Amino acid sequence: MECGVRRAASRQSAERRLNAILNPLMLYVGLAAGAVGVLMALPRRRINPQIIGTLIAAASLGGVLLHLALRGAEAGQMPNINFYLFAGIAVLAGLRVVTHQRPVYSAMFFILTVLSSAAMYVMLGAEFMAFALIIIYAGAILITYLFVIMLATQAPTEDAVEALNPYDAEARDPLLATMLGFLLLAGLTGMLAKGVDSIQPAASIAAQQEVAANLPGKVIRDLSARGVFDGLERPAEETLHEHWDVHAGLLTLDVTDTDALRISLKNERIAELMPFAQFNMATLDVGDPVFVHLPESVQASNIDGVGWALIAEHPMSLEVAGVILLMAMLGAVVLARKQSQIGETEKAAAASKFLHVEGHES
Amino acid sequence: MMTVLLATAIHGAVPADLSAAGGFGAITLYHYLFVAMVLFALGVIGFLARRNLIIMFLSTELMFQGAGLALIAFSKFHLNHTGEVFVIFVLTVAAAEAALALALVVLLFRQRETLDAEQWSALEG
Repeated sequence: MECGVRRAASRQSAERRLNAILNPLMLYVGLAAGAVGVLMALPRRRINPQIIGTLIAAASLGGVLLHLALRGAEAGQMPNINFYLFAGIAVLAGLRVVTHQRPVYSAMFFILTVLSSAAMYVMLGAEFMAFALIIIYAGAILITYLFVIMLATQAPTEDAVEALNPYDAEARDPLLATMLGFLLLAGLTGMLAKGVDSIQPAASIAAQQEVAANLPGKVIRDLSARGVFDGLERPAEETLHEHWDVHAGLLTLDVTDTDALRISLKNERIAELMPFAQFNMATLDVGDPVFVHLPESVQASNIDGVGWALIAEHPMSLEVAGVILLMAMLGAVVLARKQSQIGETEKAAAASKFLHVEGHES
Repeated sequence: MMTVLLATAIHGAVPADLSAAGGFGAITLYHYLFVAMVLFALGVIGFLARRNLIIMFLSTELMFQGAGLALIAFSKFHLNHTGEVFVIFVLTVAAAEAALALALVVLLFRQRETLDAEQWSALEG
């Protein structure tokens, strides 16, 4: 009985959140308008309403996003401008990637998409992945694409320098493709609107300190650079966990030198880490325990977390990824090599020339 | 300009907003998922509708972008770094795929001087 009541209450709150976040009717109308826009924006041979189509698609997809933003404004909170800015850039640039008639421009717009998703990664606190994305995608993969676009293009003729390739100028089954794509999008967003009623983030301090607990060297180096160990025992890396209460974020250290501790407590930045020691300074003696609060910087950063998860939890996948990259490199070399037929006499001539040069040098 | 935008992005950073998951002005998981889905759907449309082989592969990269954004958002909202590790592998696969697919494209272009996918319909099963 109680369980049913609770389920009903949670369903009610889920419905409220659904109405607050995405009004489904607005959503589907927006998506349908977006589909019409994309359909118009796809390249076509005779009449080409590309600009109008892009505007319609951008306006309707932006409208759905703006709908989300306005809901926020109604509730009296400022929407996070940065998110909407970068999300808008990402979607618009993605739209141009699939609709632009010239491949080079498509690649350039894709770089824009990559940059704005990197900005969204930064907003999500994933700095490492943001910069990896820019370096790998915008720096390496997209340059490969640009090279191939330049390699695999017919040289323009004198009289038609700006001519488009026929296969760039016309889309294949634009209606079917757009319908399928937006049906997929409607299904996914519909699920999103109904779906999970709450995904609450866990308590973050303990999670971050659990990662930091795996990196004792970093913690000790950081504390020692702050001068926390003046007058206190300096634990070895192996035994640090015995002194550390991870959930409270407290270290328990013994006093070794009361004079040095008294001097170091004059520094406010150290004193605020040890309020207990500062309060009891007069009665503290050698061997007494002191509680040290861990400063913010000791907590594991995003890179620490990713590195730990990668090396400690998925070492095998890392090896497999390396093998995949090696195989891809070998495969690309084998595929792209020009297969030329050299006759036996030419081979002999080249060999004798090589031998002749060698002999001359010696 | 980009650095200024990145800096503002860091200062208006999400973690404070995350705690207010029910707040209306906060950026929730839904917002990120919506953007990820739109990118993915655009990639699908591009792959189906375009005839240029290079653009078709570029559309698959767009789908990777959508998947990566969703993974990062989930990883952040669950405070579990495995999602970010998965994005590293997505990047690996994307790089391998780009190298191989583009080598194939260059090979095909050498044979027929065209990038039109329809011209290669003889390859279909």
